Amino acid sequence: MTFFNPEITWFLDVYILLILGYAILIMSSYLALAYISTKELRRYLKRNSFVDYDVLLTSEFAPKLSLIAPAYNEGLTIEENVKSLLSLNYNNYQVIVVNDGSKDNSMEILTKTYDLVLTDLDFHPQIETKKIKGVYTSKNAAFKKLIVVDKENGGKADALNVGLNIAQNPYVVCIDVDCILDKDSLLKLAKPFLEACGKRIIATGGVVRIANQCVIKNGRLVEVHVPDVMLPRIQVLEYLRAFLLGRMAWGKLDGLLLISGAFGAFDKEIAILSGGYSTKTVGEDMELIVRMRRYMLDNKLPYSVSYIPDPLCWTEAPEEFKIFKKQRSRWMRGTIETLSIHKRMFLNPKYKLLGMLSVPYWTLFEFLAPAIEFIGLVITVVFIVLGLLNWHFFFLLLLFVYSFAVLFSVIALYSEEKTYHKYPKQADFFKLLMAAFIEPFYFHPLTVYAALIGYKEKVMGTKGWGEMTRKGFTKK
Amino acid sequence: MTEIWDLYKNGGWEVPFLTFCVYLFVIASFILYLVIVASRNSKIKKERLTKEYSTVIDKVMSDIIFDDVPFSTIKKDKNFLVLFDTSFFREVLTESLINLHKNYEGVYAEKLEQFYKDSGLIKASFRKLKSLKWEVKCKGITELVEFNIEEAFDQIIVYSQARNKTLKIVALNGCIKLEGTQSIKYLVDHSDPIDDWMQLNIIGAFKKHDVGDTEGIEHLLQSQNTTVITLGLKLIKELKLSQKVPHVAQLADQTTNVIIKYEAQSILQTLTA
Repeated sequence: MTFFNPEITWFLDVYILLILGYAILIMSSYLALAYISTKELRRYLKRNSFVDYDVLLTSEFAPKLSLIAPAYNEGLTIEENVKSLLSLNYNNYQVIVVNDGSKDNSMEILTKTYDLVLTDLDFHPQIETKKIKGVYTSKNAAFKKLIVVDKENGGKADALNVGLNIAQNPYVVCIDVDCILDKDSLLKLAKPFLEACGKRIIATGGVVRIANQCVIKNGRLVEVHVPDVMLPRIQVLEYLRAFLLGRMAWGKLDGLLLISGAFGAFDKEIAILSGGYSTKTVGEDMELIVRMRRYMLDNKLPYSVSYIPDPLCWTEAPEEFKIFKKQRSRWMRGTIETLSIHKRMFLNPKYKLLGMLSVPYWTLFEFLAPAIEFIGLVITVVFIVLGLLNWHFFFLLLLFVYSFAVLFSVIALYSEEKTYHKYPKQADFFKLLMAAFIEPFYFHPLTVYAALIGYKEKVMGTKGWGEMTRKGFTKK
Repeated sequence: MTEIWDLYKNGGWEVPFLTFCVYLFVIASFILYLVIVASRNSKIKKERLTKEYSTVIDKVMSDIIFDDVPFSTIKKDKNFLVLFDTSFFREVLTESLINLHKNYEGVYAEKLEQFYKDSGLIKASFRKLKSLKWEVKCKGITELVEFNIEEAFDQIIVYSQARNKTLKIVALNGCIKLEGTQSIKYLVDHSDPIDDWMQLNIIGAFKKHDVGDTEGIEHLLQSQNTTVITLGLKLIKELKLSQKVPHVAQLADQTTNVIIKYEAQSILQTLTA
């Protein structure tokens, strides 16, 4: 690096220091989180091996839950999905399906299958929503838990708010209607609400896993497989890293900023007092949690957000790049919007760990990381063009990042192996191991590209989700 | 150390640092890979052994339950004795014994309890109570309680005051199964708050083990600990103990705690409706 004039040498030195500093910071934070997660996961599993969930099944003191499932154009699968929601292992719960102005025959299917009749439900809406066309219950006593709301289209957040308004129970479980839930998922999700001592549990979140190529029977997952297609296969690995090595640690630190929109339970009162789901963002799941936490901290109310590491909810990951790009750009828009709405929390000691650690972490490593990577790429290209690149150093840096990426994925596989062991087949394990080697060259650039599209969409003022088509699960 | 500092001072630290990290990451990944493979192989081996052991255990269990064969006869079998010396076999045997005991009552259950005592598995369970690890203690308690070993009560009840919540719940549930309302007096003096989950477990234990004698439950209403009073009220409601109405009425009259008063009145309404 000493062959150039002093200015260029200085610039190169500073640039290398910044790049290395950022890489070391992100890697050490990942490792620290992985360490906390692994330790906490082992403790959780030990504790859980002596838990008898049946006490929740048989007690009238079990928390009363309302499941809210927004549905938009889900005609193909809605009958089976609602059936599986009605047959979960839990007693004190109701299911509220909100038909968000579907253009297909979802409503007709629901009416016919579940003998629905218009009902005059007495409720007092506390959150403003789009107009409700009708509330339906079943004539058949077997479906007495079911309430179907038909409303004008207003998006997922609006549909969830309708559910919050109608829910009769103190806790709401918000789910994606097309997700496959574990039979005991509600038992596990409800337990933390009972464990609060001196503080209020305002939300609990569960782990979401990828169900592509898994076998589904009667709305239940019966066989777990790793997908053959590379894009969803790498997402299996990505979800393992995120849920087993990331969120578990944030849960332990009580700095969790996101409970997946696909599966999470909330204290209804706090959710409503915080204003419900925001219809102004596409990251309504993350935004609600941040707002609920902010509400509790602003009002100096002791609280906690709980996290369950058990794989309770299985979802379909996009298999085509087009759909994947839409999903990830939307996630980036949601992150930007949430961080921007709550920018006052950034490094604000009033918000304790949330303001001093969680929000800065998300800003630096979730929101800014793709931009920093892109800038690094551009500068590298400029260096090549100007003949400034030290190729030996460049490849060494590349190898440094690559070897860490592989190591981190192997840690996730190790964690999975030592805990849930959901992929016992050797072939599945090797498929995932192979994915760990391929990911940095194939999947990672795609996620960065999709995130950059997200930035662009945010700047252009793009709103809404866009069409998200799904392939559907393998059925037995 | 001086060398590293010189390297940093001279500006040539990046390459050795990166090279070191790459080696470290590669070696760590490889070691983890080996650990995963070893863990998978060990699981496969354990599964195979469990299957093999199950065949032997099923035969032994059938002999005990249906043919009244005592342990002294079973241990004459050399193959069994060799297996019985391995800790994993004893683990599988205890699990099978517990599962069978859960499914049987009366004479069959008593035969299994006798086998548990004669075979010495009971000693292993008592040893577990002395372990420093709470999860091992829990396992010991679960085993002793399953086989109704009432002598273990005094040792188990100690853990109802444990710091670890899971151990506390397992110990209390166990004591309720072993001695029913005898364990109530330990709850009355409980100083830590009992959260809703623990309360649900205690109520569950009363229901599950069908504790007929509910004498003494009303003492919970006199505790200084409000969570214990709440537990008492919930127990009275869930077990529909209408004979305890005068105690609940007295509590509703005398308490200054608004929440407790409300809960007591609500239960009075339910029980007297």
